[in-house]
Amino acid sequence: MNPWFSPEIFLTLTGVGLILVDTLAPEKIRRRVPLFALLGAAGILVWSLFPASRVLPDSWLNLFVSDGLSAVFKPFFLLCLVTVIAMAARYRLGADESVRGEFLALPFFSTAGLCLLASARDFLAVFVALELVSISLYLLAAFHRAKPASLEAGIKLLVMGGLSTGFLVMGIAWLYAGAGTTEFSQLLLKQAGQGSSPAVLVAAGLILAGIGFKVAAVPFHAWAPDVYEGAPTPITAYLAVASKAAGFVLLLRVFGLGAFALESMGTSFRPVFLTLGIATVTLGTLAALTQRDLKRLLAYSGIAHAGFMILALGTRGEGGIGTVVAYLWAYLLASLPVFLFVNELERLHGSTDMRHLDGMGRREPGPSLGLTLCLVSMAGLPPLVGFPVKLAVLANLWNAGETPALVVAVAMAVASLGIYLTPIRVMYWEREADAIPARRFPPFLIGVMLAAGLLNVGLGLQPKFLVRVAELSLNPTPVVQPTGK
Amino acid sequence: MNLGLTLPVLLLIPLAGTVLIALGARPKATALWTSLLNLVPGLLASGCVLRSGELFFGPVSEPPRELFPLHFSLGMDGLSLPLVWLTLIVTWTAIGSGREGIKREKEYYICLLLIGAGALGAFLSVDLFYFFSFHEVALIPTFLLVGMWGHGDRSGAAWRMTIYLMLGSMVLLVGLIGLFLALPETARSLDWRVLAETLRANPLEAGAQQMVAVLLLVGFGTLVSLVPFHSWAPGGYASAPAPAAMLHAGVLKKFGLYGLLRVALPMVPDGWKDISWIVGLLLTGNILYLGFASLQQRDFRWLLGFSSAMHMGTVFLGLISGTVLGLAGALTLMVGHGLSAALGFSVAGEISRRTGTSWLRDLGGLAQRAPRLWFYLTIAAMASIGLPGLANFAGEIMIFFGSWVAHPVLVAVAAWGVVLSAVAMLRAVKSLAFGPMSPAVQAETVTDLHGVREIWPFAVLTAALVVVGVMPLLVYGPARPVLERLLLP
Repeated sequence: MNPWFSPEIFLTLTGVGLILVDTLAPEKIRRRVPLFALLGAAGILVWSLFPASRVLPDSWLNLFVSDGLSAVFKPFFLLCLVTVIAMAARYRLGADESVRGEFLALPFFSTAGLCLLASARDFLAVFVALELVSISLYLLAAFHRAKPASLEAGIKLLVMGGLSTGFLVMGIAWLYAGAGTTEFSQLLLKQAGQGSSPAVLVAAGLILAGIGFKVAAVPFHAWAPDVYEGAPTPITAYLAVASKAAGFVLLLRVFGLGAFALESMGTSFRPVFLTLGIATVTLGTLAALTQRDLKRLLAYSGIAHAGFMILALGTRGEGGIGTVVAYLWAYLLASLPVFLFVNELERLHGSTDMRHLDGMGRREPGPSLGLTLCLVSMAGLPPLVGFPVKLAVLANLWNAGETPALVVAVAMAVASLGIYLTPIRVMYWEREADAIPARRFPPFLIGVMLAAGLLNVGLGLQPKFLVRVAELSLNPTPVVQPTGK
Repeated sequence: MNLGLTLPVLLLIPLAGTVLIALGARPKATALWTSLLNLVPGLLASGCVLRSGELFFGPVSEPPRELFPLHFSLGMDGLSLPLVWLTLIVTWTAIGSGREGIKREKEYYICLLLIGAGALGAFLSVDLFYFFSFHEVALIPTFLLVGMWGHGDRSGAAWRMTIYLMLGSMVLLVGLIGLFLALPETARSLDWRVLAETLRANPLEAGAQQMVAVLLLVGFGTLVSLVPFHSWAPGGYASAPAPAAMLHAGVLKKFGLYGLLRVALPMVPDGWKDISWIVGLLLTGNILYLGFASLQQRDFRWLLGFSSAMHMGTVFLGLISGTVLGLAGALTLMVGHGLSAALGFSVAGEISRRTGTSWLRDLGGLAQRAPRLWFYLTIAAMASIGLPGLANFAGEIMIFFGSWVAHPVLVAVAAWGVVLSAVAMLRAVKSLAFGPMSPAVQAETVTDLHGVREIWPFAVLTAALVVVGVMPLLVYGPARPVLERLLLP
């Protein structure tokens, strides 16, 4: 298969094509841009599932690798893209309607960056890919120019993103000074030979801080709630799922598999990870308990989930890595439908306040049931897919003998029930249901939410799929490259 | 003939019922017929169990090298048999005593069917992953039932109940994780048949056993409202709509006790023996503290809630007795208490629906106005006191005899519990029966139970109480080999 047929290239081409069509084509065709975008994204998603799509051009191989981890996460990011495009096509831009073409095209570039990031094997590639992701996201977060909150979100993301990039670049510089290379496997070899020099330790700390911003780990989380609340809902979903997952893929690559994956490095960073994890899960959960705006609630809930994953990473070992991979998939399956629902809610009511859910259980039984299942899945209750992954986190902590972290994780898992039961309560218990004007959801939402709910139940009852995905992601052998290099 | 397929059918029928209701079938009728229909696979499966001792469906997990060795397999043996029947009967009668035309009828009956199916799944699961998962299925429907159709402080009760049960479940989960990870890597399995065999051959070391036993005790104990993890129970039951309280107090609570019999006793036997003094201490709290608290109750539903939580102490005494007689008594009392609690809560629900109150002082003279209701109330009260001829007496007396050698002091305490319970219950029965008729009872709306349609749930529960009371062998007979195996050195 031609090595130039990788998803990244298709993504870039589709993005450019969408902008060209949106600018040059006659009005009749322009109106179809959302459809083109959705078809393009779905096509690339399907293509990414074929092994042939994993072949990379020879000239990329110094910077990129195609292995199990990238094979698992490229479809992940593309699935996010499809959902986000579907949401963006239905998002009301109001006065900014004329620029919907760019609103649909930019996520393609951002996703191309994410896919590259999943394949990066060198910090230079990481940096370039991350910038591609971030710059598109700065634009997208501020896209709703008519809304001050959206502009604020864009500025906040820009400043915090700049700060995080600063940490990362500083870390890379220290790394190059200390080890003389930025390539992951060479870094690993160097340290295995000579041990990690202090410069490399400093570098690892700075890089961890840089990634900490991306995954919204405490104390690098402060931007998340405001940005999530202000950004257009499709972009919030993208930030919460795809961008967060990218941070974790990077953590897995750097601290789990390559670069800093050495046992000695793990030992010195273990307390750091566990402290970060405990702080993140505690603050995320407790802050989410009091939120009344669904997007803010999801922001803090995302912080809490990041905390659980950081705890799993802190325990080291293959179990920890596999757990994070499975957790990310479960998080995607549970939270993307919720974002889709919130997007429709905002379309109907113009805000994402929880009071709009009042009486929803009776007016919209189908979507409410689907939303309930997804929320309960996020709470980590069986028989939903959120449960086996939370179980895996707890099992890892027990196995590693980290009792304090285990106690905190259990307490927060219990408390998190309060977060997700609150919207369910509003939907079903009904307080002032009659005060809410009854507006109907489009019929497609019933099917989508019910399917998502069933998927959560099915995978929760039969988590073999997640185990398989986790095993695949640990497969270090590169996908077969064409011979005659 | 292999009737293994009847076990998944037992779970599929209620689920099919929920789907039918969601699609628009008549809620109460559908729920009632599906729960009645479920008796058929129940009968077939029990026939098999009675003949060959056990019945399984699905793969046995080989001790495999799997990251996550889980297999969906169901099984029924002498120990699960009585509890499955308890679930079937209480689900059927709970749905039968549910009201027709209640607001949001669809969701109401779907939630009830889901709780019943979750309990059945938990009692039937062989794999501990599903054993745990099925129990949790009931959590959200309970939250909705108490919150949407409850009375009094329903919001507080729903939250307290849900958070407490979740907390108990998570501690239990950590205990199960600990048990699983304490096994050598090659022997890891989640199948309780394999686990029990493995751990019998190679017991864990003492420290690990104690740790796991304590976690299981706290986890399961919270679900069974063991003092000091009980405070969700009385208020929760008082606020829950009657069928939800019936299912919860009658069936789901027994999951915790079943779990101790199924997991703690066979898998960490020494650890369980080591902590039995803690259990003894806590069960004294249940019997005396909750017993005295129940004396103070002025609200009939709260009284039932306290008395239901109090009797769990006696069951725990059976679990630490260390004799087959004591364990058999515990099992019999589990069934008896399930039936009597279900009867009590359904009568309480009827009374407060008709009179609009459940305060004892407002219910004077009810016996004249509604003698049938008062009769079933008296049956429930007598069963819970431990009147000979009803199921609870058989269980209690077996527990007392079985525990006398090991724990004479606790038996004395438990006997006082019988006295306390008698005082509390007889006072309630008296104040409802005698005295001038109160205004609430004189109201037009207060009628007695009329016709088979209204009476049958109470009659079925009463009949079951009498049958088990007269022939407790029906309950503990099939379970005896299982219980004997638990106590083998």
